[in-house]
Amino acid sequence: MSEATLLDFAGVVRAFGRLRVLGGVGGRVAPGEVLAVGGPNGSGKSTLLKCLAGLLAPDRGRIDYREDGESLDTAARRHRVGFLSPDLALYQELSVAENIGFFCRLRGLPAARGEELRARVGLPAERLCGALSSGMRQRLRWAFALLHRPRLLLLDEPLEHFDAAGVALAAALLAEHLDAGGLAVVANPSHLELPRVAGRIDLAL
Amino acid sequence: MSRAASTWLSEAVAVFTKDWRCELRTRYALNTVLLFALTTLVVVSVALGPLGADQQARGAVLPMLLWLILLFAAAAGLPRVFGHEEEKHTATALRLAATPSALFAGKLAFSLVLFFAIEALTAPLFLAMMQLPVAHPGRFVAALAAGGYGLAAASTLVAAIVGQARGQSTLFAVLSFPVLLPLLLLAIAATRAAVLGGDAGAELTQLVLYDASMTIVGLMLFPVIWNP
Repeated sequence: MSEATLLDFAGVVRAFGRLRVLGGVGGRVAPGEVLAVGGPNGSGKSTLLKCLAGLLAPDRGRIDYREDGESLDTAARRHRVGFLSPDLALYQELSVAENIGFFCRLRGLPAARGEELRARVGLPAERLCGALSSGMRQRLRWAFALLHRPRLLLLDEPLEHFDAAGVALAAALLAEHLDAGGLAVVANPSHLELPRVAGRIDLAL
Repeated sequence: MSRAASTWLSEAVAVFTKDWRCELRTRYALNTVLLFALTTLVVVSVALGPLGADQQARGAVLPMLLWLILLFAAAAGLPRVFGHEEEKHTATALRLAATPSALFAGKLAFSLVLFFAIEALTAPLFLAMMQLPVAHPGRFVAALAAGGYGLAAASTLVAAIVGQARGQSTLFAVLSFPVLLPLLLLAIAATRAAVLGGDAGAELTQLVLYDASMTIVGLMLFPVIWNP
């Protein structure tokens, strides 16, 4: 991946009504690096990641994400990033394979890519999403985030509901992503061993 | 077909297929809409019966009742096309992965098939139970198709607008009233003309224009509504 792939943001402010959640946050991540975001519950970690993903518009501030030297607008950024969050749900009425197949079709990916990733995260193809355990659902979220081989991974609570095997899988997937020149922003990475940390943002209430 | 158009179409088909697959496994919208349509149909037919009035008077009143039944059946099921994505938190995944206009097209296709199925079941039953002869069956079907398309398209667009709001049902009713009023007046007039043997050409033309406008407006407006 080109060195011109970069996430750089500054002065990001976001409020919900009169409640100011982010008060001018900034950071920078280059390929192969991780930006860690910490802070107590309610300090705005998820809000920051949603702003970076283009799922929330910041009230003020600048978010610049470049791939191969080209600055992406919000819509393109939203489509390109890999996003994992506890808020993200997939279709309970569909099986694991159907869920992954659906998002493969939306992203114009071959079904083989979905099958490869499903096997990698160790999920049973035919089980309905509604019948998955919490840890399995988290594995499915990882598959969703990685499906289109994004360069930027935004991981909010990436280890939620994971057992020891899940934590090891998450660490391996993140390491592979970084080795391939990807970049990542990880919120609440307390139990995840982060290689190549570019910086840390500690948000306060 | 260009690669971009092919990808767009493939996305829309994927959304349509996914929605029907989920619907056939839960049957939430199907059951709600069909039960509502059948209940109101039975109430109307039992309350009014085959009216003793002459064909002219029945032909003037009954098309309006048919469209009222269809309107409320649509209002019972179609607002959910976007609302349930928000309620079940699947909207985030769609926002990240889908092209907004393709998503709208897939949802619109789902609403159309659902609404045409309601019409296909309700209209023949209504005609049979009310013993209402139709002078021009072809025009009658055309009025139902054009009116049904407009109703489904407008409902899908309004459902997208209210999808992220609280109190969706109230908002849906408030916002859809001005949008659906001209459509319903035209659809009733076209259906009445078909029943009585009159000329429904002008109404059908206006219905087709309404349908085209609502589709174009939906495709253009949806990306703005859908994304933050």
